[in-house]
Amino acid sequence: MKTLKKHTALITTTTLAAFLFALPASSLPFLGDEEEKKDEEEEVEKVPEEDKDAWFYVHNADIHTGTGTILRGAELLAKNGKIVEIGYDLEVPGRDYYTDMPEEKIDFRVETLDAQGMWVYPGIVAISSSGLTGTSGDFRGSIDPFSQNMVLGLGAGITSTGSGRAAVKLKRYVSHDPPLPYDFDGIVLRDSTYVSMSYSGGNARRSLREKLEKAAVYLRKYRQWEVDVKRDKELKEPSKKSVDSSALQVLKGEIYPRFRASEREDLLAIARLAQEFGFRPIIDGCREGWTVADELGRAGAMAILTARDRRDKSENLVRPGGSSIENAAKLAAAGIPVAIIPSSKGIGLDGIVGRDIIHLPVEVGFAIRGGLSEELALASITTVPARMMGIGHRVGTLEVGKDCDLIVTDGDLLHYQTFVQYTVVDGQLVYDKEAELFYAHIRPRPEVEVAPEVVIDAGENPEEEEEETEEEGEEEEEEKEEEKDED
Amino acid sequence: MILNTILLAASPVLAPAPTIPVGGLFALKVGKAETVSDGTIPHAVILVEDGKIVVVGEDLPIERGIPVIDLGPDSVAIPGLVNCYSRQGMDSRGGNDSSPELKASAEVFPQFEDYPELLEAGITTLACYPAGNGIPGRAVAIRPKGDTAEEMILADDIYLKIRLRSNSSSKKMIGDGFREADEYIEKEKKAREKWEKAKEKYDKDKKKYDKEKKDGKEPKPVKEVGPYTPPEPNGKAVAFQQLRDKELRALIAIGTAGDYVHLIDAIDEEEFDWDLRVPVSRSLNLFHVKHEIGLLECRVVMEPTLSTHPNTLRIRNLPKELADEGAKLVLIPRSDNLSSQKQWLANTGELIGAGLSREAALRAMTLEPAEMIGLGERLGSLSAGKDANILFFKGDPFEPGTKVEAVMLEGEIVSGEVN
Repeated sequence: MKTLKKHTALITTTTLAAFLFALPASSLPFLGDEEEKKDEEEEVEKVPEEDKDAWFYVHNADIHTGTGTILRGAELLAKNGKIVEIGYDLEVPGRDYYTDMPEEKIDFRVETLDAQGMWVYPGIVAISSSGLTGTSGDFRGSIDPFSQNMVLGLGAGITSTGSGRAAVKLKRYVSHDPPLPYDFDGIVLRDSTYVSMSYSGGNARRSLREKLEKAAVYLRKYRQWEVDVKRDKELKEPSKKSVDSSALQVLKGEIYPRFRASEREDLLAIARLAQEFGFRPIIDGCREGWTVADELGRAGAMAILTARDRRDKSENLVRPGGSSIENAAKLAAAGIPVAIIPSSKGIGLDGIVGRDIIHLPVEVGFAIRGGLSEELALASITTVPARMMGIGHRVGTLEVGKDCDLIVTDGDLLHYQTFVQYTVVDGQLVYDKEAELFYAHIRPRPEVEVAPEVVIDAGENPEEEEEETEEEGEEEEEEKEEEKDED
Repeated sequence: MILNTILLAASPVLAPAPTIPVGGLFALKVGKAETVSDGTIPHAVILVEDGKIVVVGEDLPIERGIPVIDLGPDSVAIPGLVNCYSRQGMDSRGGNDSSPELKASAEVFPQFEDYPELLEAGITTLACYPAGNGIPGRAVAIRPKGDTAEEMILADDIYLKIRLRSNSSSKKMIGDGFREADEYIEKEKKAREKWEKAKEKYDKDKKKYDKEKKDGKEPKPVKEVGPYTPPEPNGKAVAFQQLRDKELRALIAIGTAGDYVHLIDAIDEEEFDWDLRVPVSRSLNLFHVKHEIGLLECRVVMEPTLSTHPNTLRIRNLPKELADEGAKLVLIPRSDNLSSQKQWLANTGELIGAGLSREAALRAMTLEPAEMIGLGERLGSLSAGKDANILFFKGDPFEPGTKVEAVMLEGEIVSGEVN
């Protein structure tokens, strides 16, 4: 089942070639100087490791693209971290073409993963988390690419996450021979993915409404100016003074605002505000959302929620309220994109297992229990969070042109028994369950022989032969076995 | 050369009497000499003259008249230990600044009371670095004996200490230093151009002046242009230019494998000589990059401490793992206090017990640090021409029970007694 091949033998073979070349040159000093020079030049032309195209090829997998399609026994090919093809009978360099290229001219390396019997999904996108990258900010300057939490995160299938305002990738350092530089610029997908807004309580409502009104007025003036300036070039741009920049960004549709709200009244107020000013709010919490799902849906709201949130409604109120296991399902039914996150956004290695960030599929299981479809459940930890953070064009599904961030599991991702076997980020294998200490001992991958070699000799009757030369036959067999061992 | 001739002379076939010069010299006879540079020599004779080793060889015949100190058949001699990373005898406090112009040599304090005990522990060379984070300054190599600082200092500016942590501001320090050097070069170039222009103008005016004077006119006086003086560079520019010119090497302290990756990013395209200092903490994860460090063949300064694999109780011998990958191992005492200095050999013995090769361990305490501090020609091994810094033991130096019997510093017994 496990067949990982890396084209890493290049260096040793080329040095060997250089050595072989050096021998005749020194033993035959009468060779033409020009020829020697030519050979030296060819030597120089060797493609340096850094400039080589990195291909990643996974095959024999049931690929769940995240767009609703499942391709059985399919293949996926990525080049330099981006998916270039998904389908069948793909052509892989070094296997189907460029097969007889001289080694020093090979300008690619291919990593192959045979996922026989396994399922491939897009990498999980955690809408927010803490501590998965070993740092909480200044990612390019202080990420720990060897962080144990990052390995645990990758082991849980998470390949991208919101951390603070930023969206980052779980980019682990991968050893190459010779070493390649770590891609610091590849860590951050987007520096600012949302603006925080509050619309709970009198003061907060007053001030936010004021900000949005000013921004709306400015925006109207600005749009008018954009039209007028074409006629009269000396017209002055309207003043941005006392206009809140994040409110402006939200109204321009550049970024989603994120509200922390759970009470029905707050949710309704946010829905009205959003409809009035024409933006889509993300509501983090959204506990009583199920009671006002239609209103939220009409306002184009999006929700981040914890599927096993439990809170009784206020006893003073007659209306329905409190938490509901059906929350995610009811919101989704009203057309609200739902992202699901566990109650603890860090990694908890004590207490009760399964409530922290590395148990996202388990958390989603509770939403399914409440009626959410499995397809939407998968979307709640892949496409929905990716779109909420504005990184949906890079991650969240497996599509040509997107980042090759995928996970290979030994079964349905949403099943409690399933383990992530491999995790791939930017077309690089960064996690292998068998190679890490955490879960390697739990149900190790069986070494399944797909088509065991069976030798059937049609022209002979083995039973008769055994009877005739029983002892000799045994001896011969033993000898054969010994020979095999030597081979 | 000398060794060869004497060894030839020693063989019974070529019998002529050996011609060892008789002068202010003496011979040491030990059961075994671990030379570091030339392997282990049994029944060794070490000839010392004026504090320098003249020759080391097996069973060399010693000319009559030369005083012989025979330490007995079970005695072992090794080179004096070099502790290349210490703050012994220094007491200033550093900040977090980048101050590459500061020198630890200004702090050398000959009256420090523990120097005799350091010698007793076998440490004949000590390299001290300035305190502080960031880029605290330049280290100094001293011999722990002397009445004045001048007498003690063997070499100054032996390395520039840099402490790198995984954050943007720390990473910027290295790039900023080199940019400062670039800016100075630019500034100097401009100043020179300006001076050259002024000089040209002056030459022209002077010619005119001379001509007019010759013609009997009264010309306007010409302002003199002095010789070119380059602008004063700041300490950072000087230090980083020295790094670039390889007049100075850097010792970069990091704490984790992640720091190493950030360091490689911070160094970027710059080329200079640098070594690593990595404190061996309980769950150090440096093994992630041991292959990369091994390929660089840089030195790694570490304590002789066994660590554990992070979050497990699995023992890891990181000094050994790094040495196996090709890194040049340099060992220092477990901590910078007197008792650790005394336990240094025994602690290193633990690493040997856990798989580190004995040769690598001894080298990591003598020749390797000596080469790191630029004194490899003078210290670190028992070989001809080097300072006679020798430690004598009865038994294996790495066994916990073995004590340093005597310490010789530049041909003089400074601790213990010999017959």
